Amino acid sequence: MAAPIKVDEIQLDDTDQQIITLLKADGRATNQDIAKKLNIGATTVSARIRRLERARALRVVAVSDFSALDLNVLLAVGIEVEGRPAEDVGADLAQFPEVFGVHLVTGARDIEALVAVQDLAALKVFMERDIVKVKGIRRMTAGIAVDIVKFNFDMAPIA
Amino acid sequence: MSADNVRKLDPLDHKIINVLSKDARVSNRRIALQLGVTEGTIRGRIKRLEETHAIRMTAVTSTHLAHSLRPVLIGIEANHAEIKALCQKLAAMPEIRCVIRMLGRYDLLAIGLFESLEEIAQIANNRILALPGVRHVETSIAVKTLKYDHRVAKITSNWRHSK
Repeated sequence: MAAPIKVDEIQLDDTDQQIITLLKADGRATNQDIAKKLNIGATTVSARIRRLERARALRVVAVSDFSALDLNVLLAVGIEVEGRPAEDVGADLAQFPEVFGVHLVTGARDIEALVAVQDLAALKVFMERDIVKVKGIRRMTAGIAVDIVKFNFDMAPIA
Repeated sequence: MSADNVRKLDPLDHKIINVLSKDARVSNRRIALQLGVTEGTIRGRIKRLEETHAIRMTAVTSTHLAHSLRPVLIGIEANHAEIKALCQKLAAMPEIRCVIRMLGRYDLLAIGLFESLEEIAQIANNRILALPGVRHVETSIAVKTLKYDHRVAKITSNWRHSK
């Protein structure tokens, strides 16, 4: 088998784009449904999806609502780092399931983390059990989400 | 965050979600075999999970596709009387993927995906800063993403409508 193509090298043609559009609307649409709509063969559809997935250009997944996973408290935490590479601190944070996003950023803070927990009691546990172990955190500034007006991440860095 | 119409899920729901969050295109038959229940049960559960907006089956494309898109976090300080209208204006911008009303460090957090520094300047420093009610804007450009779990989200009305 040929080596998988890298995501920044992959070229998408119109058919790929049309398949992606249909999958964004319904990730469970069958290959046959998609094939019929685009007037191509079902095996072509399945081969193209596989190619895009192998190149890490596409994931077709169930996205869960925070509340369905009982994650009711969402925080955006800005972190200032001291005496340690920010990337190492970020890598430590990335290991916690409560942390669903970690970015190294420009500006006053070094790291921006997105944290989701069940409730304030779970946040206390997370702070006292996990965060306390991460070396190099100088200061954390948090904002708590009170209303999510828009949340559309059908594009994301795919690991 | 209100629970809306998302009902309490049981262990079987969570097992199904776990399978589908890795690959939404697994057949009902395979999930049924894996979890030791009938295909009809799986079909019914998935239908209900989708109808209650607990989950949404969708395609997530890479931000590194074509022109690399860079995440930018835009913290906004705003006049409280104008925040509602401001939220709608921000949400209407296609580059802004996420708008969250916050308590604490900012009044609003907008997260955008941008193609270039020029685009960031144009939208964050020019357009958003000039919106009525905006008092201060703080822009943090993500230079590296160490983690982003695309399998959790808020399934908002904007998203429902796009279906």
